[in-house]
Amino acid sequence: MKAKLNPAYLSAYAIVLGGAVIMLMPFWFMFVFATHSDTDILSVPPPMWFGDAFLDNMRLLLGRLPYFWHNLGMSFYVAIATTVLNLFFCSLAGYAFAMFEFKYKEYLFAGVLSTMLLPAFLGMIPSVLIMTGLGWMNEPRALIVPAACGAMGVFMMRQFIGSAIPKELLEAARIDGCGEFGIYWRIVVPLITPAFGTLGLITFIGAWNNFMGPLVIMNDMQMYTVPLALRSLSGTGQVPWGAISAGSAVAVLPLLVLFVITSRRLIEGLTAGAVKA
Amino acid sequence: MAHLSLRNLSKRYDNNPPVIENLNLDIHDGEFMVFVGPSGCGKSTLMRMIAGLEEISAGELHIGGELANDTPPAERGVAMVFQSYALYPHMTVGENMGFALKLAGKSKQEVAQAVGRAAEILQISHLLERKPKALSGGQRQRVAIGRAIVRKPKVFLFDEPLSNLDASLRVQMRIELSKLHKELGTTMIYVTHDQVEAMTLGDRIAVFNQGRMEQLGAPLELYERPANQFVAGFLGSPKMNFVPCQLKDASSSEITLSVAGDNRLVLPSSHTIAARGDITLGVRPEHLHIVPLEQGFRARVDLLEHLGDAEIVYLELAGSEQPIAIKLPSGGHGLKQGDLVGLRPDAARAVLFGKQGQAIRLQ
Repeated sequence: MKAKLNPAYLSAYAIVLGGAVIMLMPFWFMFVFATHSDTDILSVPPPMWFGDAFLDNMRLLLGRLPYFWHNLGMSFYVAIATTVLNLFFCSLAGYAFAMFEFKYKEYLFAGVLSTMLLPAFLGMIPSVLIMTGLGWMNEPRALIVPAACGAMGVFMMRQFIGSAIPKELLEAARIDGCGEFGIYWRIVVPLITPAFGTLGLITFIGAWNNFMGPLVIMNDMQMYTVPLALRSLSGTGQVPWGAISAGSAVAVLPLLVLFVITSRRLIEGLTAGAVKA
Repeated sequence: MAHLSLRNLSKRYDNNPPVIENLNLDIHDGEFMVFVGPSGCGKSTLMRMIAGLEEISAGELHIGGELANDTPPAERGVAMVFQSYALYPHMTVGENMGFALKLAGKSKQEVAQAVGRAAEILQISHLLERKPKALSGGQRQRVAIGRAIVRKPKVFLFDEPLSNLDASLRVQMRIELSKLHKELGTTMIYVTHDQVEAMTLGDRIAVFNQGRMEQLGAPLELYERPANQFVAGFLGSPKMNFVPCQLKDASSSEITLSVAGDNRLVLPSSHTIAARGDITLGVRPEHLHIVPLEQGFRARVDLLEHLGDAEIVYLELAGSEQPIAIKLPSGGHGLKQGDLVGLRPDAARAVLFGKQGQAIRLQ
């Protein structure tokens, strides 16, 4: 379709463009500041283009945070484990809610959804008490297990499976000799990869950026995840903005790569079932 | 191959009226049985009960002499072809067809051989590497049938398998299914609402209505000697003409009817008819003839439909405003809209129905 160059179209375009610039600016400054010294960063006007102090900033970061690479590994471990478990359990629950008829199904589903209404902070104290009781404090499983299945994921999977998989497929598999888990594993899972892409990305980002969870669970600096480790820098004398920016840039890179790889699937997954194929 | 025996079979969802009620039916070894009826009559539910996809609320289902009420679908020895094909979209045609054998633990070689044989029968060998989305409707249907053949089932179940195909492909697939049945000799159960499919494919037809089996028999038997008005009206296109009439006189050799006012019709009979008063005369469109006005019932031509090889003439019967359809050979009769003509039914082939719709035997 040929673009219309009328004033209304141009002003709409300008608003969208302005919004995009405002949203991208923090990212831009994070990458730019990662390559400048603290003196340059605090100068007026601040630097707008890349400098050459990235390695100095990284050296400073690693000096202040000797476990930074370990913290990065911990972030990866927690985020990947949470994502894998979420995909598995949410798809299992979503499959059951979408495809099976059982007593009190609607009430159970409403119960699952109602957990979305509770602010995450409300669960903080009980969670710490439970983890202390289990002896899991300061261990990554205290972050992974409670986040292994979320209401949003169950809801998303139920919607996707209900709209994307005809019941006849499951019946055909049942006649072919598939057990119930076999149907899930061999038929349902391969057909819900777009939803896996979407939920996986959302869960990974959530787990990667989680700050409050590690803050109350992790005590040793060695066990910190990246957001918590970087935050710890700002409480010790002069704030090393260049080092924090360098650390943040390193921490955000995996997310950017993941987003670029899965963005098409993310959009597919979010719009799935919106229109009849 | 297997003989199926259904004894007092019922299906009920919660406290709702039964979908199938006390059904008794025997399906012979190697028979092509067609379940036919309007939407919602319970025919598909019955097939799903046989497949094991619906629980049996009451009664017994025997497949090959063994009670199968609680047998899992995969162990019943049945294979089902769905209306929507139900092919696994992420698998190739070959993988779709060999899936059941793979699950049964057969070796790759055995699976490949079985798939190859079935593909040859259905002439889809060149499609084995394709995914279902790259196939036409007809090809998908063949793959779905192939998937059933590969399992070498005791009973094939077809749930309206041709409904999604266009008219010409449906005719072609119908013929191929018929040939397949002759070639394999396996018991086949076929659900359809299309009476042409039912008439052409079935060794026997079971006509269903509101969860009950109205009649069971060979296609021509049902067509010529329907048990009731529902069966008579369901089979045949255009459907049988039903004309309200009065039984005036009945002897052991003939009965006299008063049709649409003063018209008298005498039908041969070898029975003494107990019914009296208001009954219904049923005559198929091809058993009605155009005659000179004074020799038949008066009727006015309302509409003509040209089918190419035949014409359907719709008329209004004088004195009753009853619409009547006649099937005539194409051309030559010179009829046009508004003509007044005489109608004479073929008395030997007319059927009478009592007040409850049940057929009254004349011969």
